[in-house]
Amino acid sequence: MKFPLRYLLPLFFLVLSAIAFATIFQFSDLPPADFTFANGTEVKSVDPKMVTGAPEGRVIEALFEGLYQRLPSKEDPNVLVTTPGQATSYDLSEDKLTYTFHIREDAVWTNGEPVTAHDWVFSWQRFLHPQLPSEYAYQLWYVKNAEKFSLSKVDTGDRVEIELPDRAGPTNLPATDGNSEQHYPRGTILSGILKAEEKISVQVGDEMEEGSVFEVDVKPTKAGKIDWDAPGEIQKFVRLSETDAVRNAITKENPHVQPVNFLTIHFDEVGIKASDDHTLVVTLNNPTPYFLDLVAFYPMHPVNRTCIETYGYPGWTKPENIVSNGPFTLEFRRIRDRIRLRKNPKYWDAEQVKLNIIDVLAVQSDTTVLNMYMNGQIDWGITVPTPALPALLKRDAEKPADSLPDMRIAPMLTTYFYRVNTTKPPLDNPKVRRALNLAINKQEIVDYITKAGQIPATSYVPPGLAGYGGGHSGEFNPAEAQRLLAEAGYPGGKGLPKIQILYNTHEAHKDIASVVQQQLKKNLQIDVELRNLEWSVFLASSRNLEFDIARAGWIADYPDPNTFLDMFVTDGENNQTGWSNAEYDRLIHDSQSEADPVKRLEMLSQAEQILMDEMPILPIYYYVSLNIVRPYVKNFYPNIQDLHPLHILEIDEAEKQRIFKAEGLR
Amino acid sequence: MIRFLIRRAVWIVITLWLVYTLSFFLMLAVPGGPMSGERAYPPEIEKMRKDRFHLNDPWPVQYWYYLSNACRGDFLSSQVLNDYEVSEIISQGFPISATLGVLAMSMALILGLSAGIIAALWRNSLLDVFFRSLATIGIAVPNFILAGLAIMIFVFQLKWFPAAGWGKPIDMVLPSLCLAAPFAAYISRLTRTGMLDVLGQDYIRTAYAKGLMPSTVVLKHAVRGALLPVVSYLGPAVAGILTGSLVIERIFFLPGLGTHFIEAVTQRDYTTSLGIVMVSTALVLVMNTLVDVSYQLLDPRIKLK
Repeated sequence: MKFPLRYLLPLFFLVLSAIAFATIFQFSDLPPADFTFANGTEVKSVDPKMVTGAPEGRVIEALFEGLYQRLPSKEDPNVLVTTPGQATSYDLSEDKLTYTFHIREDAVWTNGEPVTAHDWVFSWQRFLHPQLPSEYAYQLWYVKNAEKFSLSKVDTGDRVEIELPDRAGPTNLPATDGNSEQHYPRGTILSGILKAEEKISVQVGDEMEEGSVFEVDVKPTKAGKIDWDAPGEIQKFVRLSETDAVRNAITKENPHVQPVNFLTIHFDEVGIKASDDHTLVVTLNNPTPYFLDLVAFYPMHPVNRTCIETYGYPGWTKPENIVSNGPFTLEFRRIRDRIRLRKNPKYWDAEQVKLNIIDVLAVQSDTTVLNMYMNGQIDWGITVPTPALPALLKRDAEKPADSLPDMRIAPMLTTYFYRVNTTKPPLDNPKVRRALNLAINKQEIVDYITKAGQIPATSYVPPGLAGYGGGHSGEFNPAEAQRLLAEAGYPGGKGLPKIQILYNTHEAHKDIASVVQQQLKKNLQIDVELRNLEWSVFLASSRNLEFDIARAGWIADYPDPNTFLDMFVTDGENNQTGWSNAEYDRLIHDSQSEADPVKRLEMLSQAEQILMDEMPILPIYYYVSLNIVRPYVKNFYPNIQDLHPLHILEIDEAEKQRIFKAEGLR
Repeated sequence: MIRFLIRRAVWIVITLWLVYTLSFFLMLAVPGGPMSGERAYPPEIEKMRKDRFHLNDPWPVQYWYYLSNACRGDFLSSQVLNDYEVSEIISQGFPISATLGVLAMSMALILGLSAGIIAALWRNSLLDVFFRSLATIGIAVPNFILAGLAIMIFVFQLKWFPAAGWGKPIDMVLPSLCLAAPFAAYISRLTRTGMLDVLGQDYIRTAYAKGLMPSTVVLKHAVRGALLPVVSYLGPAVAGILTGSLVIERIFFLPGLGTHFIEAVTQRDYTTSLGIVMVSTALVLVMNTLVDVSYQLLDPRIKLK
């Protein structure tokens, strides 16, 4: 019998549907998690060195553990304190420059290897290495010579290390391409003393290209140790990262020059040393009172050398390969869906870890987060849609007084502010900028727009940092604002050109800008126009100073005013206002080497007062965290850095049953 | 037929190249890049991180580098999700989108065809008016509004389905229904018109005159004729379901290609967005070809040139 071709079509559809159903049913055997939360965007990596965001931080804190960790204090759980993690204790030298960390004897990696001080030497070398430094590398530049190493800066007389381009591994590419970071470290390493650096310029088209040839006294290695005193051999090197034209010119002049992947200051010169398996000695450039907070910060968490050298990046981050040392292990990852974490039985404090399985969901839409939360599918959402906030607060208010609320709103070390372009008249006049600040009623913004109890900002650094006085920008005062504007030569706003407020496309930013627009019109008779741009375009415009006033926000990396203030030094990457003040630069610079903590904070306060007098920024309000958490989740405490360690959380099952029953959920 | 297919294949390759080039330069023209964030980094570090993806190179070098790799089917690694290759993202996202698409398509066909046939057979009855108004609403209401309504009714009032997520079979019901609705509506209208057209034809009258059962006449003779406009609509419908799933996947938190695409574009993940654009384009082109081929299978009078 002939099979009519036209039956193919329905058959095709049947087969497709069968495949579709098969796909649906293949996931249905997933055991439910003990705790599920919405983490915002998909994490960019689980490699501590590759990331910077808060969602990544939450996952990496669960997988890896640093020397110290930040946990809620026993006295006041709303305050975070640094407590021992993989280190049991530390000693600080008299001059406050040398930290000696004592690594826990019972800490092991998931592959069974003990965690030793050498793991930090390896991890931090990898973290700083110029091949692909972490975006957070500068957080470790407090360590002696770390900045030089990271940026491949060398001076004559320095001890240097040289990596020859003879990498072993699956792809033996020169290291000019960051993707070749397969195995680490890499080719043959030579050590020596830099004798001379000769700069070479080559004319290419209309441009001059510059490069260097290095003359190094290469020292011999005896039994794995470099003999710095032995007579060496003078050799010449050129970096492969130089442009072709430069390298050709150098090779022509120096026939014996050797091309090298990297030529950096010797890592032995960087202040990171393992004096034995359980002692890590870190030497800093300056006393840094928040250094302990930095070593507890997730980018500084250690990674396992064996694992990285076996699989390279990104192979080592796959769930089947990854080796970690934190309270949880990585069970599986589904892109932009979930990361499943499972309790790590080898973790030194595993007894205290109550949750067995955690699902980390990469839910983007705030509305979806709330839907899933109300439907009992997630236990914690990191934010809620603002329109739903009044209803959620009302729901909490109607609960009996002794029960925990769902909404956990708490102040945060984050400021919403406007950058002012100080290079463009009339905003180059500090009096105009101060007038603008005094004419904005910030209370109105937090009462009618943000609505979650945000605090109107009268300074750049948010309150809540112990011992820090800070600067003050003045309260809302239209009369004073009008006086200042008149003094600046624009009485009653006459002669002042139209000012534009730039913001990235977002409902809340638009509403805030509209309020500011109305207030400036009403109080100063200034015409303001609003302009919104898509996020990436907005960022580019901000960086290029293509704005009059631009929206901005800043989250503290560590609990110290310096994280806010050091960005406004002259030509700082995050200054983006064109503002420059010599006295401010001096205060910030000097405060970094000030050993007396009280004096240091005093200097920072003075600096902030300069910032508030000159007003290159208009602070609007201090953020609050808007966590929505089921009351049956125990040990979840709000804090100013919005950090919530997963390994201390616990589920009150009886309470969960009760709440689910009351809300008719399954 | 073979010549038709060969010529089609050549056109598909040319179209793919054009789409690739256009998307590539559109992306280069838009400010920002995969590395941009609120925080700016020391320029040296920024440079080294950009070098990793050749973002500091002049555009011809970049274009050649990415195109030559794409021709080998290698879309390289994602510029934002550092741990993954673009091929991994696509191979994880595609089955989910395909499942959603196929389910939505089947629902659209089943609902649309049956509603259309019933409406045509009982023309101008109350049922017909009901289906027709439902279809008008289905076409007019955008799927994200429909999704919101469906969540309010089926999730929070009736508590039948989960609000969002991916993992259990039941998770797929609401999203595919919301995705299918506008297409079901359109198909029902096409079927109704087609049926009315066919039912007036001589061969149907002949079939009735032969004394065949009315059900046999409708199912065996009439439907096949009425199916042709529906089949020609399948090509655009596949494209429509692909774009429609962008919104639906986001609302229902499904980690499919649509979600990946929206994220990749907003995060300026050049390699991933290019990869997904290419896969979607190829899919639409292939589906259109399949539809053209199936014309001939359904109606021998049509010759493919």
